[in-house]
Amino acid sequence: MNKTADEQLLLKAKDQVVQCDRCGTCLTVCPLFAFRDTERVSARGKNAITRALAEGGLRPTDEMLSAVDFCLLCQACVDSCPNKVRTDEAMIDVRQYLTDKAGGVGIKYKLLGGVMKRKALVKMGAAALAAARALRLGKLVPFGMAPEEFTRAKFLEAFAGPAALGRPAAPGSAVPSPAAKVAYFRGCGMEMMFPAAAAATRDILGTTTALIVRDNPCCGMPHLAHGLRGDFLALAKENIDLFADVDIIVTDCGSCGGTLKRFGAYLAADPAWRDKAAAFSGKVMDLTEYLAKVGYQPRAKVDVPVTWHDPCHLVRGQGIRQQPRELLKATGKFVELKEADRCCGGAGSFHIDYPDAAAQVLARKQANIEKTGAAIVVSGCPSCLVQLAKAAAASGGKFKAMHISQVI
Amino acid sequence: MINAEVKKKFRAIVGDEYALDSDLDRFGYSYDSSFVPLVPANNPDMVVRPLTTEQVAAVMAIADEHGIPVTPRGAASGRTGGSVPLMGGISLSLDRMTNILELDEKNMMVTAEAGVRTIDLYNHCAAKNLFFPPDPASWKMSTIGGNVAENAGGMRAVKYGVTGDYVMGLQVVLADGTVVNTGGKAVKNVTGYDLTSLFVGSEGTLGIVTRALFKLIPMPKTRGTIRLMFGSLDAGCETVNRLLQENIVPAAAEIMDKTSLDAVARKRSAAFDPAVESCVILETDGEDQAALDAQAKRIAAVARECGVLEFQVAQSQAESDELWAIRRTMSSAVAALAPNRIGEDISVPRSAFPEVVKRIKAISEKHGLTIAVFGHAGDGNLHPSILCDLNNPEEAERAHHAADDIFAAALAVGGTLSGEHGIGITKKPYIYKALGEAGVKLMQSVKQSLDPKGILNPGKIW
Repeated sequence: MNKTADEQLLLKAKDQVVQCDRCGTCLTVCPLFAFRDTERVSARGKNAITRALAEGGLRPTDEMLSAVDFCLLCQACVDSCPNKVRTDEAMIDVRQYLTDKAGGVGIKYKLLGGVMKRKALVKMGAAALAAARALRLGKLVPFGMAPEEFTRAKFLEAFAGPAALGRPAAPGSAVPSPAAKVAYFRGCGMEMMFPAAAAATRDILGTTTALIVRDNPCCGMPHLAHGLRGDFLALAKENIDLFADVDIIVTDCGSCGGTLKRFGAYLAADPAWRDKAAAFSGKVMDLTEYLAKVGYQPRAKVDVPVTWHDPCHLVRGQGIRQQPRELLKATGKFVELKEADRCCGGAGSFHIDYPDAAAQVLARKQANIEKTGAAIVVSGCPSCLVQLAKAAAASGGKFKAMHISQVI
Repeated sequence: MINAEVKKKFRAIVGDEYALDSDLDRFGYSYDSSFVPLVPANNPDMVVRPLTTEQVAAVMAIADEHGIPVTPRGAASGRTGGSVPLMGGISLSLDRMTNILELDEKNMMVTAEAGVRTIDLYNHCAAKNLFFPPDPASWKMSTIGGNVAENAGGMRAVKYGVTGDYVMGLQVVLADGTVVNTGGKAVKNVTGYDLTSLFVGSEGTLGIVTRALFKLIPMPKTRGTIRLMFGSLDAGCETVNRLLQENIVPAAAEIMDKTSLDAVARKRSAAFDPAVESCVILETDGEDQAALDAQAKRIAAVARECGVLEFQVAQSQAESDELWAIRRTMSSAVAALAPNRIGEDISVPRSAFPEVVKRIKAISEKHGLTIAVFGHAGDGNLHPSILCDLNNPEEAERAHHAADDIFAAALAVGGTLSGEHGIGITKKPYIYKALGEAGVKLMQSVKQSLDPKGILNPGKIW
């Protein structure tokens, strides 16, 4: 990235953070500040660092990069901010700026970005895990978590057999417009770690439409978040072209959805792509958003209490709160989770980079889940599911973590 | 600069983890929520985060020995630069002192450490049906040590007063590390000087407040919300004044001018009746619903006489939240109108409220800058917000002249520089005008006797 582009990135971040009047509201909601309460951890601290960097008061350093890197991008601060300062976006921009200044991204993210960019690797599902492990990214899949642990069959076993699911509901009552061409967006995390859940998503979508499935590349979020902006933009353009002919693009990953819906914003300054990107983003829907629109009814009743954890990039990233709850209520025994929209600590690869901090964030989530008495915590994001599966293991089997496609 | 030997001593007191001196950490404790610029940064040389009063005392003893400046800090939510370490030295962050030590239900008093967040103290007391009324707008993040040091107000001040009205006693660490306890649980107490009041609002310049004893009152059983719209700001002010004269005291009485309302309307994509020039939102409280209904009736009668255009009583909690949303979103809605906002905090005799607003409007025209006015009509404390672009040097100049004129207007009608934010750094230039030479000199002599080396929060107030 050339110097001018770098400076523009910093200016863009500055435009955001000058809106911060340092009131400190964000201090009370940041999941990281809750246990590591030094100013640099808070959104206010990060905004101030960014502003001082842009105004020449601070010089770029490794210490600074580590400070802006220590962020879940969960947007809890944005949500509570009176001025709605997009600290998450500013952090992404500053990471890019500092990464470029430091002469490029670290080897780990280069490898990660490489895997994610190579669709063949992601597509191979379990085989991709082996490849990832070969690239020393094995920690992406903690506890050697086997994908089948999350299949419906295992779920049925775990909860007293098929009776737990009750009688299958009548066939889906969804009435999709016959003309609409609906495509499924294959997310890397879902494909690599939860192929059974991804398959369940496709099954569900298949009951509502003649589903289009293509070999799409990664949404680019991992690249964007870690200073590989060029890769992100290339992936975005590839996806935009690939889905140019469809009307609706459904994703079962909150982070993919949040990213795909922002292609329009990220390419707004590029005259060649602006309109196509905006059109693309307008077509993206989260699975639950789509199912609510088409009036989908869950295939089965669930006889055990279930609760819902809001993925950050779904609830704050896309404003989707009610749809998954309505779907789960229709399965029978939905219970609300305290602090349901508080980050679980997964946050993309945050849990790999900062295992101790992620564990502290997760402990609070686990305690809240246990208090609900739910047998299943359901979510809609692979990164969350990895975390929640850890919590489930730590709870000694009090609850299971599942993707919503496996429950409805 | 603090030399390595001395730094080692501070580390030994609070532990390595809580004595920070990396460049980035020092920067993190260089600012607060005022418009004091971030750059050039007022970095402390070290951030020290004690856990106990004993640690604070030990830190002060060493600072005193070496003449190191010490600036106390809570959540840095202050609006005037009070916790900005202007002269370097130590940023003494009290945010780890978060114990609520005792809730004495019989005497209706609570003792808490300086780093307890205001909202946590409120909730702790509310659980026992006791009411801690001071409610600065920052109550979700502000800490009570800062509330005491700035004598913070809030929306309920009209009926319940400000932080200082509830302080019964303090634990204070003096400049040399001596620990003193002032006041106590005896309601009547005239033994010696009223040192408690001396430290309340002293902005960390006389001692470090580490612990406070507050009195509480029984929690009001019911609360109601009323919104009134008027065709002029005067009519809104007049209504609030008449209510107080007739002994109908609302728990809060907030007023907003048309500029402020338009800002909210824009943000919420809703429009108000074009005839509306001001809005008053009242909180009422009482024994039961009947008491609230009776109050609402009397308020309605007074408001009608003052020519109210709309009168709406919230019928549910949801409606009440909706009505308050106007006021709660006001600050950010107004801020969104321009790149920068210089928010002021003048306080005037209640009767002078309409007059000072008129003068502010004239100042707005004179300098060609939009100034939104909202505030606490019930106690004469208002927050004019000058909307400007501080990156434009010419406009910044005009904005600062407008601020000067606003302070002059406040003083001219018998008011003062600050109702609830303190003087800190940002209002220093006006202090002599407000207090006079003799007034400032007397304060300086108090400061001199308590902090002869001038190490406590240097560079503040005057």
